Amino acid sequence: MSLLRVENLGIQFGGVRAIQSLDFVINPGTIHSIIGPNGAGKTTLFNIITGIYAPTAGDIYLDNVPITGRRPHELARMGMSRTFQNLQIMKTMTAIENVMVGRHLHLNRNLLSCLLRLPSVTRGDRQARKRCVELMESVGLGAYIDAEAGSMPYGALKRLEIARALAAEPKLLLLDEPAAGLNAAETKEIDEVIVKVARSGVTVVLVEHDMKLVMGISDHILVLDYGRKLAEGTPDEVRANPAVVAAYLGNVGNVGTVGTMGTVS
Amino acid sequence: MAHNVRPSGYSKFAKKQTYTRRMSTRKSRAQMLLSERGGGMASLLLVILVLPLFLANDYHYDVAVNIGINAIVVVGLNLLIGYAGQISLGHAGFFGLGAYTSAVLTAHYGLHGLLALPIGALGVGVLAYAIARPVLRLSGHYLAMATLGVGLIINIIISREAWLTGGPDGMYVPLLEVFGTEVYGGPMWYWIVAATLLLAVWLSLNLIDSPVGRALRGLHGSEVAAQVAGVDTTRYKVMVFVISAVMAAVAGSLAAHFSEFVTPAKADFSHSILFVTMVVLGGMASTFGAVVGAAVLTLLPQFLADFADYEHVILGLIMMTVMIFMPKGLVPTLAALARRGARRTAR
Repeated sequence: MSLLRVENLGIQFGGVRAIQSLDFVINPGTIHSIIGPNGAGKTTLFNIITGIYAPTAGDIYLDNVPITGRRPHELARMGMSRTFQNLQIMKTMTAIENVMVGRHLHLNRNLLSCLLRLPSVTRGDRQARKRCVELMESVGLGAYIDAEAGSMPYGALKRLEIARALAAEPKLLLLDEPAAGLNAAETKEIDEVIVKVARSGVTVVLVEHDMKLVMGISDHILVLDYGRKLAEGTPDEVRANPAVVAAYLGNVGNVGTVGTMGTVS
Repeated sequence: MAHNVRPSGYSKFAKKQTYTRRMSTRKSRAQMLLSERGGGMASLLLVILVLPLFLANDYHYDVAVNIGINAIVVVGLNLLIGYAGQISLGHAGFFGLGAYTSAVLTAHYGLHGLLALPIGALGVGVLAYAIARPVLRLSGHYLAMATLGVGLIINIIISREAWLTGGPDGMYVPLLEVFGTEVYGGPMWYWIVAATLLLAVWLSLNLIDSPVGRALRGLHGSEVAAQVAGVDTTRYKVMVFVISAVMAAVAGSLAAHFSEFVTPAKADFSHSILFVTMVVLGGMASTFGAVVGAAVLTLLPQFLADFADYEHVILGLIMMTVMIFMPKGLVPTLAALARRGARRTAR
């Protein structure tokens, strides 16, 4: 059974059709990558799935429940979480407070209890803090627990986004370019984090330009171009697809150049 | 420290680790005192207990009570502006509405003051809720304009409905009665307002250090990130708007009974601006900053009264100087300095 099903999806901004008649299915427990040239509609697709944009056509199902047009916080309640390509960090808060915001749905959010600081609130916060410290350590942020988020380096903030998304304990995690702007060593660390997350049973969907990362960890790849599905399949299938190569390298008509897209190392 | 020399790429990381370890193990008494909750509440309580020793006459008490009343409004407004990052230029409207509800219900309808106060708070809460839903969909300049409009409308209604409110001339308010005794005079009001302020500060500190408070600060930092984390940001913005409006209404009711007289000036635009200025000057996102901001801006005009014509010029200059050199406001800037000093002496 599919975890996420997208049917005939489309969105239009003025005259621009950013996504057109898109269908695909994401199975639970897998790592999915969505790739494509700049402007192919990858982030737009993420924004539709997570409820930030409402699509102009088509339907989306999470666990066979239609979720088209639902708002982000409702989707979060249904087990969806994501990170952002352009970092969305709460800079006036500490790193662990950012992660604890991610834990929002698991905590006592009753206004009166919070105003009166009932024991249930403080107990919940203590447990949440412990859990979030573990989570931060597991993504390699052990050195930044109480750091001001605004003063953390870029690579750490990328991981902070992942930690915050994981704090919600989602069943579906969408990562928008988790390796963008990172150097080779940092990319490798992110790579390990993603694999670790997927092993723990979370279904991961990622948009990514780093082909080495994508080809190395994905179970399934969806290739977008101009808002349409260009190809999909296993990394090997996608790599061998002439249309994909053409979209990335221009129409050189030489399938032999596929090797430059990166191989599994 | 010589053994700490490592290949350059590595040493940075190692340094950070020792830094945070040092921070976490040394939760010293100094840090407790610098923390908002522990030290702040204690200092505020101390100031409140000691202050009457220096209050020599009715005028002094009058100023002290006004500081307290303003501080209650500003602590609430700081939740909205400082923490949740939403602006309101209409909070004097809610303050005035609280004041006039108490005035009208007690003077015209003979209701008990302690009954009129919660009715006013509840009424303002309902009104704020009704306004907040459409208004808080706006942000930035548009939100400022909309809340300004709300304040103006309340002010106009109070001024125009003279049959009920006495119009621009204002109206008398009966004394507040608590447990059969009439509350009268500076000292009695001092303790009532002080207790209410302590309650407001305690509630504010509780809220901020809770899942709801983190959600509010989170939506200030990144609204979309908060939504994705499951925070219904609209609901939370409405909630904090209502809380701050209710706190303003309660302060308004107290002010009405304290001065035994209300005029529409309580609800006018410049009063709203004064509240916002208190939040900003004291320090946004700092509950004690709100109290200090209210104290400073209530006191300063009293000190500057001797300068007569130049009073407002000097007040303006002081405010400009503070904002240029302490853009984060008084309390956050001074707290940061104190922390830096404490770290230096600890080393």
